[in-house]
Amino acid sequence: MGKLITIDPVTRIEGHLRIDVEVDGGAVKNAWSSGTMWRGIETILQGRDPRDAWVFTQRICGVCTTVHAIASVRSVENALGLEIPLNAQLIRNVIMSAHALHDHIVHFYALSALDWVDVVAALKADPEKAANLADSLGLEWPGNSKHQLKAVKEKVAGFVATGQLGIFTNGYWGHPAMKLSPEVNLLAVAHYLQALDVQRKANQVVAILGSKTPNIQNLAVGGVANAINLDSAAALNMEKLYQVKTLLEEVVTFVQQVYLPDVAAIAASYPDWLKYGAGVTNYLAVPDMPTDAKMTQFDLPGGIIWNGDLSNVKPVTSWNDDYLKQNVTESIARAYYEGDTIRQPWEGQTNPKYTGDWKAETPAPEKYTWVKAPRLEGKPVQVGPLAQVLVGYVNGHESIKKWADWCLGTAGKIAGVKLGPAVLHSTLGRHAARAIRAATMGELALKHWKLLVENIGRGDTAIFVDPMKNLKPGTYKGVGFHEAPRGTLSHWAVIETDGKTMKLANYQAVVPSTWNAGPRDAKDQLGPYEKSLVGNPIADPKLPLEALRTIHSFDPCLACAIHTVDAEGEEISRVKVL
Amino acid sequence: MNPRIAVIGIGNVLTGDDAVGPHVVRVFEASYAVPADVQVMDAGTPGYDLTAFVAGLEGLVLVDAVKARAAPGALRVYGKEQLLGKSPVLAVSPHEPGVREALLNAEFMGVAPAVVRLVGVVPANVETGIALSAEVRAAIPEAVAQVARELEALGVPVTERVPPAEADLWWEKPRG
Repeated sequence: MGKLITIDPVTRIEGHLRIDVEVDGGAVKNAWSSGTMWRGIETILQGRDPRDAWVFTQRICGVCTTVHAIASVRSVENALGLEIPLNAQLIRNVIMSAHALHDHIVHFYALSALDWVDVVAALKADPEKAANLADSLGLEWPGNSKHQLKAVKEKVAGFVATGQLGIFTNGYWGHPAMKLSPEVNLLAVAHYLQALDVQRKANQVVAILGSKTPNIQNLAVGGVANAINLDSAAALNMEKLYQVKTLLEEVVTFVQQVYLPDVAAIAASYPDWLKYGAGVTNYLAVPDMPTDAKMTQFDLPGGIIWNGDLSNVKPVTSWNDDYLKQNVTESIARAYYEGDTIRQPWEGQTNPKYTGDWKAETPAPEKYTWVKAPRLEGKPVQVGPLAQVLVGYVNGHESIKKWADWCLGTAGKIAGVKLGPAVLHSTLGRHAARAIRAATMGELALKHWKLLVENIGRGDTAIFVDPMKNLKPGTYKGVGFHEAPRGTLSHWAVIETDGKTMKLANYQAVVPSTWNAGPRDAKDQLGPYEKSLVGNPIADPKLPLEALRTIHSFDPCLACAIHTVDAEGEEISRVKVL
Repeated sequence: MNPRIAVIGIGNVLTGDDAVGPHVVRVFEASYAVPADVQVMDAGTPGYDLTAFVAGLEGLVLVDAVKARAAPGALRVYGKEQLLGKSPVLAVSPHEPGVREALLNAEFMGVAPAVVRLVGVVPANVETGIALSAEVRAAIPEAVAQVARELEALGVPVTERVPPAEADLWWEKPRG
């Protein structure tokens, strides 16, 4: 057996992702992904009015707030067969796209860029050469000027001179796997700083339309609560709509001029990472951004790909897709739950059964995680921007194809090679796909803003239909699909009603990070995180930067954070059995 | 108006005593009136967004659950130096940036508030479920009063609402 390495921030923070890899001969031979905290939204929701569920699900996760709100109202509307007004669809779409833009940008600059960018190496850069490099790619971002880059370099120099690296203390500076030129490093550090302003602008869009951020308040089962009155200061009016448009345009400019080019430059500088990290090449994406009230037309494509075969994409074109309803299951064979091993989500159970601690750097026990293992037709599937970009690229989605070709073309130009879509099945391919999707989401955000303004201009101000009207006694099952920033999200609701009141009999959330971070199943098939790590090089087992690169490329987000501040260095010992 | 000072409650209302941050700021908001340039916010578990929320503020009062060598329900107040004194956590997911990481990031970016105060309450239980422990519930009035004192120390006039408004603690609403 090779050397076992555990990457586990749980020693300092509770309730998170843990990765164990077995390294042999400088490469990962086997891998395990586990979530260290139980999440039981299902038990919190049972018996509640389904119209309230979204307010609770929004709190599952502080990073993915809006997405759990949207999937929840959709699941109830799907169960009751509700058709909501077009304005409500479009307002939700603009919120969703602003949130996605925010999430993709923040993920890359705040969490992932430092896997590839050496902040300290930026001190060796020549600001003028860096400015010229950006110029040569046809970029017009004002933040790439020689003067701005010089100021950033001085800022980093001042920071390093204090001997306190602050937030960068744990960075892998000078690691042999760092390969960017000093100039690209400097550009990336400048963009890391500039991303904060863009992050705030995207948040403002969500706050204007959602009434508040980070947790929006404007949703309702049956529509939205944004009263539309172009002449009222208290309602959604023209001034607020134009504020949204201006903010979105600024975010879109950053994506096109900064984020996508940065990812292309990094892909060009690390060609090996277009080979590692493919893992599970079965993919699922669901359609989203409906353009009609009946939810028959969508601007984001859905589809299924098996075994990386891009010549054979099975389209998913509806939220009432029977195939998905029948073939999504969750396995608990290797997770800390008891009951039937495999269940469809409407029949899903959440009965925790903790079987004991797994000591770091020891072989995995049979049950090793709190995360269930979702399967499609019994097979592991990867979800996320890469799934959606591959499906859209193959089916000729205009915006996805345009930005994918731009990204692959620019990376190829810098590296002096020709790159096709097949390189996207990789660690850096996932980053590229996320940036490509961000460029598409930016265009769609502005398109749906325009659709909204035009629809209001036609005199339609409807925003809500009452779900209690025409409600007949019975049991209703529904699923709310949403193609969230981390991939396909589905909330599965079972509702019981006497015609006057409603309550939730069951509720299960099958989240993107469960699809990707889930464990092995009864057939010992590895989950996407696990399989993607196998074969990754590890230059230094004490600094497993390469494993972090691949895990970060999925944008991991395990709901949700217990993040108590440990100001005095005291650990609380916790028993996780409930 | 851009806020000059903020009171931000952090924590997950679905995981036991981790709700204390949101709970305290909502009770504070219902109990005291503050000037328009003071923002009171239940931020949930904001991850990287905390840097964006605090950027450019002059003063910041955070309310959160804290680990400390003290009994559940005990109140602890920390300043910026103490919060930044330890090294940050290596981030594996976007949840990992906690208060310390968000402040260190703001420091590097040059946008950190000059004054940061953290009003912390030691939790008894942070397991999944909506259930504030008796110890932490008993500590709420004192934590709310401490937030008011911290704002006054920042030169902010706070006015007690008589009678107080009803705090919006929607997550404590009973089922069905």
